[in-house]
Amino acid sequence: MKPNRSEHILICLSGAPSNARVIRVAADMASALQAPMTALYVDHKPMDPASRLRLQDHLKLAESLNARIVTVHGENLAVQLVEYAKLSGVSKIVLGQSGRTTGFTLRRKSLADEVMLLAPHLQLYIIPNTPDANEEAEETHWRFHWQDAAKAIGILALTTLVTQIFDRAGFSDANIIMVYLLAVMLTAMVTNGRFYGTAVSLISVVLFNYLYTEPRFTLRAYDADYPVTFLVMFVVSFLAGTLTMQVKSQAKLAATKAYHTQVLLETSQKLQQADSEKEILIETARQLEKLLRCAVLIYPIRKGELSPPLYVRQLQSSEVPDRFLSDHEKAAVAWVFTHNHQAGATTQQFPQARCLYRSVRNHDRIFAIFGLALESRAILDLLEKDLLTAIFSEAAMALEKEDLNRLNTQITITSQQEQLRANLLRSISHDLRTPLTSISGNADFLLNNSEEMDYDKHLAFYRDIYEDAMWLNNLVENLLFITRIENDTMQLNLQPELLSDIVEEALSYVQRRNSNHYIEVDLGEELLMARMESRLIIQVVINLLDNALKYTPAGSHINIRAFRENSWIHLVISDDGPGIDDGTKAHLFELFHTGPKLSADGRRGLGLGLALSKSIITAHGGTIEVRDRIPHGVIFEFSLPAEEVTYHGEERESIGY
Amino acid sequence: MEKKGKVLVIEDDKAIRNLMAATLESRGYSYVFAETGQEALLKITGAAPDLIILDLGLPDLDGIEIIRRVRTWSKIPIIVVSARSNDKDKVMALDEGADDYLTKPFSVEELLARIRVAWRRIQDTLHSYETTESSFCNGPLEIDYLSRAVKVEGVEIHLTPIEYKLLTLLAKNIGKVLTHNYILKEVWQNYLPNDTPSLRVFMATLRKKIEPAAQATKMIQTHVGVGYRMIRREEDEMNP
Repeated sequence: MKPNRSEHILICLSGAPSNARVIRVAADMASALQAPMTALYVDHKPMDPASRLRLQDHLKLAESLNARIVTVHGENLAVQLVEYAKLSGVSKIVLGQSGRTTGFTLRRKSLADEVMLLAPHLQLYIIPNTPDANEEAEETHWRFHWQDAAKAIGILALTTLVTQIFDRAGFSDANIIMVYLLAVMLTAMVTNGRFYGTAVSLISVVLFNYLYTEPRFTLRAYDADYPVTFLVMFVVSFLAGTLTMQVKSQAKLAATKAYHTQVLLETSQKLQQADSEKEILIETARQLEKLLRCAVLIYPIRKGELSPPLYVRQLQSSEVPDRFLSDHEKAAVAWVFTHNHQAGATTQQFPQARCLYRSVRNHDRIFAIFGLALESRAILDLLEKDLLTAIFSEAAMALEKEDLNRLNTQITITSQQEQLRANLLRSISHDLRTPLTSISGNADFLLNNSEEMDYDKHLAFYRDIYEDAMWLNNLVENLLFITRIENDTMQLNLQPELLSDIVEEALSYVQRRNSNHYIEVDLGEELLMARMESRLIIQVVINLLDNALKYTPAGSHINIRAFRENSWIHLVISDDGPGIDDGTKAHLFELFHTGPKLSADGRRGLGLGLALSKSIITAHGGTIEVRDRIPHGVIFEFSLPAEEVTYHGEERESIGY
Repeated sequence: MEKKGKVLVIEDDKAIRNLMAATLESRGYSYVFAETGQEALLKITGAAPDLIILDLGLPDLDGIEIIRRVRTWSKIPIIVVSARSNDKDKVMALDEGADDYLTKPFSVEELLARIRVAWRRIQDTLHSYETTESSFCNGPLEIDYLSRAVKVEGVEIHLTPIEYKLLTLLAKNIGKVLTHNYILKEVWQNYLPNDTPSLRVFMATLRKKIEPAAQATKMIQTHVGVGYRMIRREEDEMNP
């Protein structure tokens, strides 16, 4: 069933009893047209508890009928409605409408009339209300509260006391009227609804008439001006009261709006700072906890599967208490996961659950399910629900962005790995062939022509075969280590090792092939011990020595030196060869970078050795660098974390040199 | 040593078998081949070899398993052949009772040297003079077990108790690679895994004492990631 894109139905939510009917009619219409439905609540005036309860019911009803719930704040219902309709591409508005204009207000026109006037192009559907329903609504509007009544009476009594004093002091009537006006404004400020303000206005006029007009203590007035005075006084006080009330409700609205904005702004900021999926989820949970003052559970959804929950309480993540892990709770979570709709406390699905479960989602996937541990708190008010929705959509946006980022990084990494693999294959197929050709060619030649050659020539062939084979062997070792790093299985088996052992082992390997370089070793008197995986570090030393042998002419000196600096062991391998130019140095540790063809046999390496060495040293937490030797030559230096040389099992003093 | 012994080569690769055959033949050893683990087990009992060269990567049976089975009834020297990057295999093989190991690729000289060392060990255990005698002599090194005195080139050197224990342990197993775990178990009776750095340090200081810098004579060989071995200074090397 494809949604109808051209139609969009808007209804206006209210606390009026007739609203439910409007919602149902609109929902029928929406399903008939296959159009989306939005239920708009304009928070434009304070509401009495009964209406608020009804509003909650209507909200649930609208939600259960698949309406999108939106709340806006504003003084004028019609203007907000029309503005929203214009912005959201609403095609039809469904409104409830009674036979007469509503109530005791200054507004003369009905809501429908106003909407029609503001947006003549919109299709307006009016659902007539039954008069009793309307009466009921008005009745609640005029509900009586003892507290407010007491306040009103108190204010009147105080005012009368003050006016009595004024009267005794001989102040004019004007002042007394002013004081009564003040009383009306005060009443409007401290009480709810229009009733008390209006009542106090009326009583003030009567009191003024009774107490301060001649003849006093009667409801008559001699002066012909007085009826006019009374009328003006009543109208002014009534207007003042109404205005005060409006200012008050506006202030309240503004405060609500500011709070709303502030919470969302903070959420948005925090979410932007978060840079991993988990951080976003936890930050969202913190904001929700701040807003609702309840613990929050997070069920992240990874690869389309529900993950074990995280729990945030007092802004810290901690262990999930068992009471949130009951089968009932889990069933509610599973329901939310499969139906992509809220469930749990305060909803019709799983109302016994301790938490209200809602999903964070965008149009095509769910990112996580949040459990709000409402527990004792039975309901969420409209503002909270509204903020909840806003926070969830913020979180969804942040998660979507994060997801995209991750996807991009993944794509980059994958393409880099592809590139690497392609390079590796190309290099292997190209560069391995050279020594293999040499080995097979030499062997073939010896097989066929050995009788005609003298012993010295034989020896040269044998040596070449041997050297090529050893070169290949080292290459295979490097390749093995490279695959270990590439496969991300670089779990180092760190052991404290003596540097002298490592250097000795590497030398024993390199020496076999070295006949014409001078290698000097100076590891100092102190025992140098570092944490390392010996095989890997030996390979690094072999690679560095190999390069030094390969890229320096015969007769060059290669020097191996080691020393300790604070908690680091440094190994320095230098040669007095021709050195490396700066351009080459910059890319020396990159994979597949090969030096200029300077080696004696004219063979290039695969460009694996130094890249691998760098990876190995980095994995050990150390650094590797190359620099010029003065006057000529190259210095390679790497560092490894030092291990304290300990003597266990014997007192230190007995160790003498 | 006029009579050369019989070597059983357990190796599945033909080229390496050929290489071994040529090497052994050139030095007058007789040899038998086994290509699989099963065949090897049969030949160990049937052909009665004096020494076994075992490639750990066999197609049908784990080389370690062969060592384990042989060690239940025989002390015949076993030299293990394995790849360079596989320290774990070597240590396991040594701990199971192998005498020595060779790293691929190995040189012919290396192979022969190992066979010689292992051969000497058979002779020594046959005559068993070293373990019962009250003194030990290897090149410039002399140990008098009774007076616990150690001399290098006739000069007595001072060793700490642990160094002395280490040295005698290596001396009694001369030519054999002792793994870190084995040494730790023998010298520090109740050892902890974090004693390994201590062992490295003790070995280093011991080597400094018994291998005078002026002499390029190496007495103890470090096998990084595996263990240590005392090298036998051959008579001919000492008196050229």
